[in-house]
Amino acid sequence: MNSWFKSGSPWVWLSAGGVSISLISVLGLLWLIASRGLSYFWPADIYQFETVNEKGQAVTVIGEIYDRETLPTKQLSHLNLGLDPNKETIERILVKTGNRELVNLDFRWLLLPLINKTSKPEELVVVERRTNGNFYGYVDGIILDGQLEGLEKMAELVERVDVFQDEMAELQKVDIGAINYQIERLRLKKRKHILDETLTVEREKEIDHQVASYNADYQILETQLMAIRDKVSRDQLVVRAMGGEIIEINFEDILKITYNNKLSVFGRASVFIQQIGSFLVDDPREANTEGGVFPAIFGTVLMVLLMTVIVSPLGVVAAIYLHEYAGKNVLTKLLRIAVINLAGVPSIVYGVFGLGFFVYMVGGSLDQLFYAETLPSPTFGTPGVMWSALTLAILTLPVVIVSTEEGLSRIPSEMRHGSLALGATKAETLWRIILPIASPAIMTGIILAIARAAGEVAPLMLVGVVKMAPNLPLDGNFPFLHLDRKFMHLGFHIYDVGFQSPNVEAARPLVFATAFLLVTIIVSLNMTAVTIRNRLREKYRMLEH
Amino acid sequence: MISVIPRTLAPKVKLDLNNLSPEQVALEIKNLNLYYGDKQALQNISMSIPKGQVTAFIGPSGCGKSTLLRCINRMNDLVDICKVEGEINLHGENIYGKHVDVAALRRQVGMVFQRPNPFPKTIYENVVYGLRIMGENNRRVLNEAAEKSLRSAALWNEVKDRLHDSALGLSGGQQQRLVIARAIAIQPEVLLLDEPTSALDPISTLTIEELINDLKKQFTVVIVTHNMQQAARVSDQTAFMYMGELIEYSDTNTLFTTPAKKKTEDYITGRYG
Amino acid sequence: MDNINLGRHISGQFNEDLENVINHVMHMGGLVEQQLSDSLTAVNNDDEVLARKVLATDYKVNALEVSIDDECTRIIAKRQPAAGDLRLIMAIIKAIADLERIGDEAQKIARVALENFSGEQKALLLNLDNLGRKVLEFLQAALDAFTRMDVEAAVKTHQSDEKIDREYEALMRQLMTYMMEDPRSIPQIMTVIWSARALERIGDRCQNICEHIIYFVKGKDVRHTTAEDIRSL
Repeated sequence: MNSWFKSGSPWVWLSAGGVSISLISVLGLLWLIASRGLSYFWPADIYQFETVNEKGQAVTVIGEIYDRETLPTKQLSHLNLGLDPNKETIERILVKTGNRELVNLDFRWLLLPLINKTSKPEELVVVERRTNGNFYGYVDGIILDGQLEGLEKMAELVERVDVFQDEMAELQKVDIGAINYQIERLRLKKRKHILDETLTVEREKEIDHQVASYNADYQILETQLMAIRDKVSRDQLVVRAMGGEIIEINFEDILKITYNNKLSVFGRASVFIQQIGSFLVDDPREANTEGGVFPAIFGTVLMVLLMTVIVSPLGVVAAIYLHEYAGKNVLTKLLRIAVINLAGVPSIVYGVFGLGFFVYMVGGSLDQLFYAETLPSPTFGTPGVMWSALTLAILTLPVVIVSTEEGLSRIPSEMRHGSLALGATKAETLWRIILPIASPAIMTGIILAIARAAGEVAPLMLVGVVKMAPNLPLDGNFPFLHLDRKFMHLGFHIYDVGFQSPNVEAARPLVFATAFLLVTIIVSLNMTAVTIRNRLREKYRMLEH
Repeated sequence: MISVIPRTLAPKVKLDLNNLSPEQVALEIKNLNLYYGDKQALQNISMSIPKGQVTAFIGPSGCGKSTLLRCINRMNDLVDICKVEGEINLHGENIYGKHVDVAALRRQVGMVFQRPNPFPKTIYENVVYGLRIMGENNRRVLNEAAEKSLRSAALWNEVKDRLHDSALGLSGGQQQRLVIARAIAIQPEVLLLDEPTSALDPISTLTIEELINDLKKQFTVVIVTHNMQQAARVSDQTAFMYMGELIEYSDTNTLFTTPAKKKTEDYITGRYG
Repeated sequence: MDNINLGRHISGQFNEDLENVINHVMHMGGLVEQQLSDSLTAVNNDDEVLARKVLATDYKVNALEVSIDDECTRIIAKRQPAAGDLRLIMAIIKAIADLERIGDEAQKIARVALENFSGEQKALLLNLDNLGRKVLEFLQAALDAFTRMDVEAAVKTHQSDEKIDREYEALMRQLMTYMMEDPRSIPQIMTVIWSARALERIGDRCQNICEHIIYFVKGKDVRHTTAEDIRSL
């Protein structure tokens, strides 16, 4: 035993154990969120249960099995449901029944012993709708232009509506959006002239004239929109719910109709992929609990990229000063300690700082100087994507500084001397030799910064993230990148959907899916940076002397 | 009587190192004192380094020979606590004078270091680095300069087909010749070599020594070396330094056969100091 | 041994090598001295046995020359000696060549003892012995100076070659007279002349050894220079 200790193998085991535990926890975490999240997109079977309600009446329940759990029988004994008292526990299932317009809750617990019959009729259909969630039931027919018809044209009609919906979205967001934007700009221009007391009659006329022409355009578009809207609401789908109620669903509302029980594995796989696709590219619906997360993905990536663009030069320049130019004295040491300690400040503190300094002080001053015409409604004096990026840049600055300095100090002095001896000045040496060689270390700093910034939510809640942003920070209107806009963020989206939404139960898989997506995005951002760094490292590899 | 002796056996015309004419002098060091903080590293060094010849500094570690070498192109300026008194005259002008442009000085006095230090760039970019710094961007001029200096450094034939590969792929000896090519590409007058072969294998060392012999046709070469045989082989003049003092400075043949000073003798024969 | 300073090399092995080679040179010098002295004794006492012994021992001198040469070559190859060490090795290489030649000359003298001399002619040998003793002293002095690497002794010894030369000339005149008086004795006298000639050559060799000492200590090559130059050292 003693010799076993002396051989050093216990330490090998100990360290290997540490690695294994870390690896298992990482993989376990990924597996958990991936399986929970991805199962959300898989088309589940739709069941029809024959059971009894509290009053002892026979009822039919249609829906997807969502969850199951085991309860002690005692807990339910007061309900007097005629359960077998000898059984210690009882199993129950949670069924997603949808059909929000008919029942208050679209989830329902069913006790397994009370279910008399379970079947999976192939005719059961799930209708995905733009409002009111899913509908489960049987399709009875189609009302085409007021005439009741068969089901042949169902798929065609869904597609027809899709096309119109796209057209409408295009009209609303792009064309009408642009006109509104221009009218708003003209209004601000006029107000600016008023404030500057430079509003002449000609100018006013000119502006009014432009506004009028935009309004005329708007009227035309509005008419077009109305026409399409009329076309869209032409047809209805007739469906029968589990209670036998006949409902007409307007095609305008229908996103997709699927016969889940009829689908083969391949059919389901293709639905699965479509679902993931629409999750990635669609806008959220129903208070974020349905639809996609595209604005959040876009916001997250844009904010991280902006942050990178801000923090990299800042951190590198600071590190160069500290390492190359600052005298080696107490002050420099203090500065360095301060920088390192900055990394330990809780992120919410940065959020408060960002709100106080960037949003109110800097943003407020900017507004007064350049955007006085919009006051009192603030432009930059309110949380926005730029302030978020800046706040996170300050937050991640120490990481970049420390790793850049580390990289600078690892460059052999022969490199500097070699360049200086050829008549280069210090700045030339830095620019042509030192910085390229230090670039892998700089990239390491940026990687760490990205990793930290992409996962940060708390400070963003103070400086720019919102639950629902009406517009992306990037669009077709000049100046295209709107740094003053608020944005959506995946991390905040998770928090919002998981804990703030009206229907927490329904949103749970979405939380996992979003979490998985966030991890994937951070990992891919990191991998990109790591690849770049490795390429640089290969290029500037020092020969081992 | 001289005529019967074969040319190779004829004794070389010795320079009188204490009494060189101004045309013969490349560098003149006058009463040079150097301090690292409180410690005096060089004590009252005075010597004249003749033009177009190889001058070697030898001496035990820490004797100040590298420090003296670094004084010549002011690389010691990089050491904060270093203080220099005295003069080093290049073209009769003190390089420690007030209005001296150090970068310009270093273009006149090139330097090669102990360990090969090619930049992590291509071979070509390494050679033309100095020219680019000087603002030369004409492709044709750069190409010509690169070829010329690589030829002078006896490296052209080995690298001409891979000029645009990384310089780090070269062997140690090739790297050192590349660094020499880089230094001579900007046509300095004086080339300082700080133990240029101490990190190389014997064969590469011989190549470099051969190269030094060629280089003295164009440049004044000053070399610091730990290897006495190397100093004996490559140099025309040798200076022996000990504890920051210049002990003996004479032509290499004399110094290695009949040194005047006991300290020199003890050092070059490998005796305890 | 002050001037040699062997003990202070950083490389102990180098010290040892140099000491060995110097010891071998001393040994060779002793052997050569013995050979010369034995051959002179043999001539003087008409000792044929001793003469034959001298002839038989010469191979030892030759063998020593070869082995010392070898050692020196090895030292040069391995140690790349510089300055004093280099001059020492060079001096040794040249000195042992001289010693070997002295050994050969001693052999020549020993051959005289094998000749038959009549009683009258023995007087000639007496004169030869006189010169021989002087040369032997010269050799001893040179070897002594070599052992101590004593440059002053070397300079002094170097000058005594002149005396030998004068002695040699006197002997020659005397032998000339004998030959004129008695032409029948010419063959024997020729033998004596050869011996005298050998002794004179030994003197020159000793002078060379002294020059090597001066070269080693002073680093000046004094060969083919005037006596004043040497004295001015």
